[in-house]
Amino acid sequence: MRRLSRNLVAICSTLALTAGLAACGSGSDEAGGAGDTLVAETAFNLKTIDPHRQFEFTGSTIDNAVYQTALEFADGDLTKPTDGLCSFEMSDDDKEMTLTLKDEDATFSNGDPVTADDIVFSFKRLQGIKGNPSFFLDGVKVKKVDDKTVSLTSSEPNPALPYILPNSSIGIVNSKVVKKNEGTTDENDGAEQFLNENSQGSGPYKVEKYDADSQVVLTANEHYNGPEPKYKRVVLRNVSAETQLTDIQSGQAQVAFDLNSDQAKQIDDSMGKISSLPSTRSLYIFNNTDEKIGGPAADPNFRKAVMAAIDYDKLIDLAGKGSQRMASLVPNEFVGAVAKDEAPERDLAKAKKLLKKAGYDGEKVPFHYSSDQAVNGVDLAQLAETLQAQLKEADINLDLKPAPSSTQLDGFRSAKQPMGIGTWGADFPDPTNYNVFIPGGSVAERVNWNDDPKLEKLADEAAKAKGDARDAAYAKLFKATTDTAVWIPLVQPVSTVAVGSSITKFVSNADVSFDFAKAE
Amino acid sequence: MAEAAAAPQHAHVASASGEADAAQRVKPPKLHPLIRFILIRIGISIILIWGVTVVTFLLTNLVPTDPVAAILGDRAAADPEIVAQTREKLGLDQPLLVQYFTYLGNLLQGDLGVSNQTRTPVLASIGQVFPASIELGIGAILISVILGLLLGLLSALKQNSLVDHAIRTLSLIGISAPTFWIATVAYFVFFFKLRVVPGAGRLDPWITPPPKVTGLYTVDSLLAGQMATFSNALGHLVLPSCVLALFTVGLLTRFSRSSVLDIIRLDYVTAAKAKGLPARTVVFKYIFRGALVPIITVVGLAFGSLLSGAVLTETVFAWNGLGQYAYRGATTLDLPVIMGVGLVIGIVYILVNFIVDLIYGFVDPRVRVR
Repeated sequence: MRRLSRNLVAICSTLALTAGLAACGSGSDEAGGAGDTLVAETAFNLKTIDPHRQFEFTGSTIDNAVYQTALEFADGDLTKPTDGLCSFEMSDDDKEMTLTLKDEDATFSNGDPVTADDIVFSFKRLQGIKGNPSFFLDGVKVKKVDDKTVSLTSSEPNPALPYILPNSSIGIVNSKVVKKNEGTTDENDGAEQFLNENSQGSGPYKVEKYDADSQVVLTANEHYNGPEPKYKRVVLRNVSAETQLTDIQSGQAQVAFDLNSDQAKQIDDSMGKISSLPSTRSLYIFNNTDEKIGGPAADPNFRKAVMAAIDYDKLIDLAGKGSQRMASLVPNEFVGAVAKDEAPERDLAKAKKLLKKAGYDGEKVPFHYSSDQAVNGVDLAQLAETLQAQLKEADINLDLKPAPSSTQLDGFRSAKQPMGIGTWGADFPDPTNYNVFIPGGSVAERVNWNDDPKLEKLADEAAKAKGDARDAAYAKLFKATTDTAVWIPLVQPVSTVAVGSSITKFVSNADVSFDFAKAE
Repeated sequence: MAEAAAAPQHAHVASASGEADAAQRVKPPKLHPLIRFILIRIGISIILIWGVTVVTFLLTNLVPTDPVAAILGDRAAADPEIVAQTREKLGLDQPLLVQYFTYLGNLLQGDLGVSNQTRTPVLASIGQVFPASIELGIGAILISVILGLLLGLLSALKQNSLVDHAIRTLSLIGISAPTFWIATVAYFVFFFKLRVVPGAGRLDPWITPPPKVTGLYTVDSLLAGQMATFSNALGHLVLPSCVLALFTVGLLTRFSRSSVLDIIRLDYVTAAKAKGLPARTVVFKYIFRGALVPIITVVGLAFGSLLSGAVLTETVFAWNGLGQYAYRGATTLDLPVIMGVGLVIGIVYILVNFIVDLIYGFVDPRVRVR
């Protein structure tokens, strides 16, 4: 037995030694220091970083740092597109846009200059490969006019175009290199893998290592013609929100993208700062207008009763500080948003009266939502349970139908769900992006809402409106849409970026949630 | 009847012995029992692997949802033409049986398909993440075996004492505490508060991984002579391995305790003690060795489950292994990934069982004769 004790001591000593070794293992003489590396963490939503195919948050965050775009939103002001690589001019009828290459010193990461040919190729590739973001330039003819000028012609007025071009999905790539690596402007394009591993942009960074499952490493682009970034290397890691919180508190990471409001509250000044930005996402209830599918939800009085039964202030509490009421699905910072003070209010007496009118006698209504999804920190399962409890107070009985998001989306897309929670993230900050919710639009089809002459007339008027009148016309259209209660706007959540205390200066806005190149 | 029955029996016996002699002369020498045993086990393993391909293929294809929509995303999925083209490209327009045989044919050529989400070959991705899980699994199994066996042995030898009760309580906690919770608390305490281990990930973010040989950072950094990287990788390995090991430690402690208690009561142990052999010899040569055989099964299966069940631990520690890869595949309905990971985990289990069977065969001759 004495030998057994000796063995135990030996094993324990080995373990202690290992732990000790581990504790001093964070420094590395081979790998250089941590000083010029910025570590950012997010729970990956990444399919690709080929700019013309990516359509998810992580890909977009990376491409923002790697690719320059023809136009930009200066200082994150989403209402005013400004010059990027090009300056622009729109024709009076909004059908023709002229882009003039402005930044003539811009060069790609291999030293090649950015030319009008690269811009034309990039636009045509986006259109031709028929990826997820191809719709951005639907119906737009792209033509090189001369070495400095590119024209974009639309058959219908396209006032949204300046708001579309700053999107990182329309990043300008080095056409010569991409073409050499199976890049084409049609569906035969085979350059995705190449672009994932060898970025071809003119932005402040280039891709050093791409691993869609764990991390993407960026290094400074020595040919970038803008100010040299302080952080020469950016490591974007795939990390759960819980671990992000500990990492930002401990200084292990400098940027965390996915903290919810409760987690954000735990960051005090000694650990870092919270940058709260208005999110471009909308959370809403959808109601199926087909009586056979929607049941009670197809009745306008029932829908309006639901709208009157919701306690919106409590939803704001749930979504956290900085979240906002919505009077339509258009985020409050966009042209065409309906003023917040026109947002629906809770009125239980009104709700009960409307329910009587609808002939609703308390039957259960199936209520679908993605049980595994959180939108800007708002857990949809928690939101659904909150709504169920609130509506119960008006004697509306929701039968909760949770499902994984992929399955839930399938049901919604096939227009077979009577009622549930929907989410929409703006593709570009222009009200025309919300036309899909107007009868006949692709999302309206999911609730079998195919015609409404009043709304169609308002949509026509809005499409023709120009200048300041455009804002008012779209606001009128989307206020009328909310009044039908087919879509019930719930809350505009807040986008939170936690920035560690080692960063003294940074730019964080609704356009690029965190600008790696400007961090100091 | 009795006579009639007896006569042929005699005749049979007589003739059988004569035939046996002849057969011994003509038939090739009988296979060695151990080789026969190995061949049978290989055969069974191949059939099982084929079974796994059928099950993973059927299960993933019977999910009532359309992977094309998940692949294309909202915008592109709105265009029926693109949807049809994608279905055709992926072969999803073919009957299920045709799809299965295409899958099997590709599999035999080492092609596990391409991830629908990242367009990366599944085999290459598994090759990337598998070593991470192996490294974590080996760390966890080493800790489990050492602690589990020692604690179990100690608990049995001190049966019904305070030490025994304490160990049994600890093992119960190890088995019943939720891994995700343990992982989060452990990360908070040992990394955030005490700073005795480094943060999440397999290496500090600013360290470049060593040149790939095995994919195990600890081994590769040693091979490359990068001692600082080795120490960093080892440091990152300690906490997740301990957390992952906790359940198995509990399991092994309980199992080895009861196994040792069974052996202690056997006559040969009593005889050994009666002969006056030293306690150390009795414990290690007689009791522990005897108890070891059934424990091999538990260790083998535990290794398989460590590889497949590390999803939560890998998530908390940002450990980019098979578990995280599987989780990502499942949540994005990435069928090639789900099938690939399912197959690999199935093969690991089958291989582990095969090895366990072999060890049994070597250790206990009765097994291979059966």
